[in-house]
Amino acid sequence: MRIPFLSIFITSPFEGLMEHAERVKECAWVFQQAMECYVAEKCVRFEAFRTEVDKLEHEADAVKRRIRGHLPKGTLLAVDKFQLFRYLREQDSVLDSVQDALDWLSYRPIGGIPKPLEKDVLLLVDSVIEPIEVLSQMVMEAKRYFESFSEKQRVVVKNIIRELRRFEHESDQYEEAIKKKVFAGEFDPVAVFHMIRLAEIIGAIADHAENAGDMMRAMVAK
Amino acid sequence: MQFDLIVLIVGFFFGFYMAWNIGANDVANSMATAVGAKAITLRQAVIIAGVLNLVGATFIGSHVTNTIRKGIVSAEVLADPHLALIGSLSALLAAALWVSFATWKSLPVSTTHSIVGAMVGFGIMGGGFNMVRWGKLLAVVASWIISPVFALVIAFVMFKIIVKSILEQPDPFERAFKGAPFFIGITVFVAVLSLFLKTPLGKKIGIETAGAIPIALFSAVVLGLVGTRLVKWAVTPRLRDVEEIFRKIQIGTSCYVALSQGANDVANAIGPLAVIYFLVKTGTVGEQVPVPVFLLAFGGVGIVCGIAMAGSRVMETLGKKITTLSNTRGFSVDFAAATTVLTASKLGLPVSTTHAAVGGVLGVGLARGIAAVNFRIILQITWYWILTVPASAITSMILFKILHRIL
Repeated sequence: MRIPFLSIFITSPFEGLMEHAERVKECAWVFQQAMECYVAEKCVRFEAFRTEVDKLEHEADAVKRRIRGHLPKGTLLAVDKFQLFRYLREQDSVLDSVQDALDWLSYRPIGGIPKPLEKDVLLLVDSVIEPIEVLSQMVMEAKRYFESFSEKQRVVVKNIIRELRRFEHESDQYEEAIKKKVFAGEFDPVAVFHMIRLAEIIGAIADHAENAGDMMRAMVAK
Repeated sequence: MQFDLIVLIVGFFFGFYMAWNIGANDVANSMATAVGAKAITLRQAVIIAGVLNLVGATFIGSHVTNTIRKGIVSAEVLADPHLALIGSLSALLAAALWVSFATWKSLPVSTTHSIVGAMVGFGIMGGGFNMVRWGKLLAVVASWIISPVFALVIAFVMFKIIVKSILEQPDPFERAFKGAPFFIGITVFVAVLSLFLKTPLGKKIGIETAGAIPIALFSAVVLGLVGTRLVKWAVTPRLRDVEEIFRKIQIGTSCYVALSQGANDVANAIGPLAVIYFLVKTGTVGEQVPVPVFLLAFGGVGIVCGIAMAGSRVMETLGKKITTLSNTRGFSVDFAAATTVLTASKLGLPVSTTHAAVGGVLGVGLARGIAAVNFRIILQITWYWILTVPASAITSMILFKILHRIL
């Protein structure tokens, strides 16, 4: 049965954002496993993880398209529509960077990460997982804020954004450390190029998470 | 009198059908915010709407009805009893058909405007174009713009007040309790005032504007304080949930909406039926006819059947879909709709609760209170509001022709 009154209401885009953030989070965990596997001796499941990330990215893309496609012109949102889209783009870029990193690694199936750098790379990876995990929490808290308009809730969101900034700063330092080590050590030029690029791609994950946080800051601004 | 009896029986059928439609369409729409905001469960909504509509229709519903709703057509058209019978019958059926169609096509139209349009059709067929009071029709046109805009502004302001004075404060829960007497009071004020001024109750006991305002003020103060106590008693303090406070207040607004709807809208179905009944009984009608209580109750039962058979399904779907509407929002919409209907009918505009509710939702949306609202739908909806009058008028004209041939 169709209801007259109902056509005014549109599904909240925050539901979609939550769903998207969940996919991103799942992806982060798979990414972590993939990286650990790659570093470990005799990794056989790397390709399986990579496929898994591709699958999740595909699903997240569908969610993204659904959010964008289901906000007709003249939709009135609790937040600015373009801020919302830019937020979504940053959150999606997090996923793209994860995918890029694994793709990049797959071009050198064996020994892409020199032994002396393994620990540093894993530290960098860990440092970008946290900000990703925080994203879905931030969306949830922001959704709560727009429902309650409570100042307390706004502070919660703002604190998460601050945390995101701190995470990005940390991962920046790990990235820098790797680069320094790469140039200081005696590696062959191909390895140097591969490592520098890898560090940058992984570092970009945290950058995008921070950008997402900044967009959220604009959304919850009074 | 074989012919008259048949017309009367058919009239009862059509009147019931119209009342049924009011229950299925109008009531469900106006209770939607409360169900959507989970202030009341579906079962409670059906019971509240059913009981209070019946009570409102039977006891507050007007015992005297204008033969032509809202005086839109000159009463001269009723001079010929035979034509008056056919006209009332076709107007009733035409309005009911249009509302059914609108419900099927998911359009929030007004039952009041449908019956007004159908009466215009009957007027034109019965006595030509100069039978229609075009000035009165202009008021209907004005209401298409005024009622949603007015409700939009009030809902916007109301929600902003709630946000600024309660939600954004350091301790919203405490602030909500402090503000509760004001919010309950102002709602009671509007409700009591409209009970006296908008529904036929005021005329019955002889209280007009001057008398109603002090009474409304007094009940606002008393009920505001008593209501706050009640809310305090009903709310779980452990949760410290502002929405819960407004959820309790919204129970009150829903009750009021149901009561006043029964009182006012029953005439849409029963007015033309009363004309038929009176014609069959006495042979003539004037500008006004008395409405026996059993007719009002009959209309009330029709509304209740509509609520129970179709309205509950409408409300169930709404309750599941409008999850973005929390109690502070729902309260703002309800308050805006009630105030608009009161003010507009005081100005003599035939407004519809449905139109006002649509405006109210958009107002809260504009205040950024709802996650996503389709603002553009208002253009589409307005089209159907406009369409309602000519559509039911033309249907009524066609039915008039057909019935005139047969009878």
